[in-house]
Amino acid sequence: MMPYAVELVAVTKRYGTTVAVDGISLRIPRASYCCLLGPSGCGKTSTLRMIAGHEEVSDGDILISDRNVTDLPPVRRGTAMMFQSYALFPHLNCLDNVAFSLKMRKVAKAERLAAAREFLTLVHMDGYAGRMPAQLSGGQQQRVALARALITRPDVLLLDEPLSALDPFLRVRMRDELKRLQRELGIAFIHVTHSQEEAMALADMMVVMNEGRICQSGTPREVFDRPVSRFIARFIGGHNVLATPSGPIAVRADRCRLAATTDEPHVSGRVAAVEYQGALVRVSLVTDPGDEVSALVPDSVFYAQPVQPGDPATLAWSAHDTHRLNEA
Amino acid sequence: MSSTRLTGFQSLAGSIRYAGTRRRTAPRRMPGWLVSWLQAGPLAIVLLLLFFIPMLLFLAVSFFDYDRVGIYPAFIFDSYHDVFTNPATYEIYLDSLRFAVITCGITLVLGIAIAQFLIFHIRSSLTRTVLFLLCAIPFWTSAIIRTIAWIPLLGREGAFNQLLMALRITDHPLSFLLFSNFAVILAYVHQLTLLVVGPVANSMGKIDPAVLEAATDAGASRWQIMRNVILPLSKTGIMLGVVLVFTQVMGDFFIIQQMSGGQSGSVVSELSTEIQAMQYPPAAASAMVLVLVVAVFVGGAMRVVDVRKELAS
Amino acid sequence: MIAAGARAAPGKRPWTFYVLGTVFGLYLSFLYGPMIVIYILSFQGPNGGVTFPMEGFSLVWFRNIFQVGQMGYIPATFERSVALALLVSALTTAMSVAAGFAFRRRFPGASLVFYLAVASLVMPSLLIGTGIGLEFRFLGWQTGLFTSALGAQLTWTLPFGMFAMFAIVNRFDRSYDEAASDLGASAWQRLRHVTLPILLPGIIGVAMGAFTLSYDEYARTTMTSGTQNTLPLEIYALISSATSPVLFAIGTLTTVVSFTVIGGTLWVIFRIQRRRASSRPA
Repeated sequence: MMPYAVELVAVTKRYGTTVAVDGISLRIPRASYCCLLGPSGCGKTSTLRMIAGHEEVSDGDILISDRNVTDLPPVRRGTAMMFQSYALFPHLNCLDNVAFSLKMRKVAKAERLAAAREFLTLVHMDGYAGRMPAQLSGGQQQRVALARALITRPDVLLLDEPLSALDPFLRVRMRDELKRLQRELGIAFIHVTHSQEEAMALADMMVVMNEGRICQSGTPREVFDRPVSRFIARFIGGHNVLATPSGPIAVRADRCRLAATTDEPHVSGRVAAVEYQGALVRVSLVTDPGDEVSALVPDSVFYAQPVQPGDPATLAWSAHDTHRLNEA
Repeated sequence: MSSTRLTGFQSLAGSIRYAGTRRRTAPRRMPGWLVSWLQAGPLAIVLLLLFFIPMLLFLAVSFFDYDRVGIYPAFIFDSYHDVFTNPATYEIYLDSLRFAVITCGITLVLGIAIAQFLIFHIRSSLTRTVLFLLCAIPFWTSAIIRTIAWIPLLGREGAFNQLLMALRITDHPLSFLLFSNFAVILAYVHQLTLLVVGPVANSMGKIDPAVLEAATDAGASRWQIMRNVILPLSKTGIMLGVVLVFTQVMGDFFIIQQMSGGQSGSVVSELSTEIQAMQYPPAAASAMVLVLVVAVFVGGAMRVVDVRKELAS
Repeated sequence: MIAAGARAAPGKRPWTFYVLGTVFGLYLSFLYGPMIVIYILSFQGPNGGVTFPMEGFSLVWFRNIFQVGQMGYIPATFERSVALALLVSALTTAMSVAAGFAFRRRFPGASLVFYLAVASLVMPSLLIGTGIGLEFRFLGWQTGLFTSALGAQLTWTLPFGMFAMFAIVNRFDRSYDEAASDLGASAWQRLRHVTLPILLPGIIGVAMGAFTLSYDEYARTTMTSGTQNTLPLEIYALISSATSPVLFAIGTLTTVVSFTVIGGTLWVIFRIQRRRASSRPA
């Protein structure tokens, strides 16, 4: 069996003169959870829609399960998409929504309704079979949309910012469900998001995009521990980016501490703000040269020796926590 | 939350898919512009054949020669000459334009007030629909009959005068109510206000309520909000309404005849006289001049507001 | 066209509510004034005229409608009007819906079609009617109700229909189309199972609007109708020749008919929308 669920080969998307996606290449392994992460306008949604077939490719090829699908319509690609707005058909009840794809393939009524019920049960919405989409909450609509997509038995499930519209508590719950579902079904999920927390929690493979290009791809741990560029370090959060004579470096904020004197690598400055975050306290400093840095300090450590905005302070870290960045 | 195991979920490799290759297959979709042409085609063809061509025909005929017997293909400017040198032409245009402008003014103010009321003061969507329907119901009865109905209402022995005298507001019937300019404008306003309410209400409905709340927060009075927020944002609807009313008045021949008792004429009523007399070239020349006036007005209005963006975006 | 969502702040009504409300009330009475006259005078006594006072109360003018007059037979004219309106409505709906879809893309010539429709809408009706009459004369064809008059009415209803469809299609979320194609629907299946059902209330509105526009159309029809009259033409002829309360009786009767038809259509739309909001047994 082919090792990759999806392959992008030098894929480019142009809207008139604007280049939204600039010659990206990517290989997404079978049965993996892949997150496309990046700021607004980075091209992640365009990429997803090109994989789905809802957007035409300007240049390059897309292969799914080792077949070139670049010119195929969505239905023939082996993909299914979950839309950001869910797009449940308002004139059909949940069961008919889920059974829709089977109806298009002219499956007999009893058979398709039974299959639809099965998938509604998979997403725990079997009690809502007769309800209309207008009567469901956002989270419920999403689950029905999921069932509707999965009934087509896709090779790849594409999710366009599925959790953005949910409240934080529901978001975490749905995250667990999505991860569980992906493991159970054993197919590839490609999930677009602008939240690094979400991407790190879900992804087997995280792809960070900016301005139409892929900046870094790898496991969440790789990307977080060893960001390759200043942009990634800043975007992923939790890093201090500093310029040194030998080039830019990044240090994890949680590996920094407030020290009095030290011969470890350090910067000095004044405390700008103290933010209580529960288990950690974030102390921001403005260094003498004028950079902004911060340290994530365990609360017990902080409150043993608290500081206040305006106090002079020194931020120190171990030399082996220094991570060299590329120039970009 | 226990998970329901789906036995043997296997992605459907094979059944409806190609046994594919890594090379591209040829695209098979119809280009978008062709689909749009096929979809808009019938409508475009009907309008071309039944509107554009007849207008071209008019244009051609306006240059023809004619006498008592018939019309003869030619290219002369006689008809236009007659139109432009006849002082009656200018009088009639001035009269029609005067009516049009006054009607536009009144229907605009009235229409905006009504639209404002329906959109911003009625809370329940159901009530709003019902009120809209109430406004629309009279239009299900023939416009001709409704215009005629003003006569028993406004005449010297009409119901309204009877009412005024019964209430002792006046002691003799008011004669200006009918067969006068007042009556003409009254009938126009009666017939055409809804043409303003519709588009304006549509535009107003698109205004984000949060914008109005922000304006109130910033300390604007209701009048200031009206002037500085609502009206500018409803520009398109207002312009559409004005265009519709203006062109309807300029194109009218019935209301003005009936309500003025034959005293006033309109551009089109003159035209219909010429047409009935089978004097096509001068009628065509008149028609072309009218078309020009209307086109200038509508074109100007559409410059001010980009209708295309509003309607077809 | 009717805005959704609460725009009026809850709580005490501002003073403008009462002012505008009064204006609206006055406008309604202004609108309905002539209507009331029509309804009352249609019951005019047999010797009464088209003005007040009422000389008795009778149904004679209603009976008059069903008698063969010098002008023609009203019920037959009415049937013709309805038949023509149905045809115009069907054609307008089909062509406007298609055109509405066409304008979802940018295509060469789109502006042309747009301005053609605008022009057809604002040009004086009598001109267009005459123009079509001329056109038919030049071609050597006879003008007729279901040929030239049909065409003339279409020049009036098509722009309305098209612009109405613009508003309706604009509100249609593209995601429905994409979801449908994602799930395997072909273009025709998409149209039949997703797009048209969702847009149905709006489309019914367009059909109804076109029917009403055609049914009451006079100026474009009068020059192109040939030998047969529609109801508005008949009414106009009656006014010119013999104004009598039969006109008001016709007005009342046609109002009742319109009420029934439009009321029925609205009820259908209402039912459809209510069904979408509540459960249906699975």
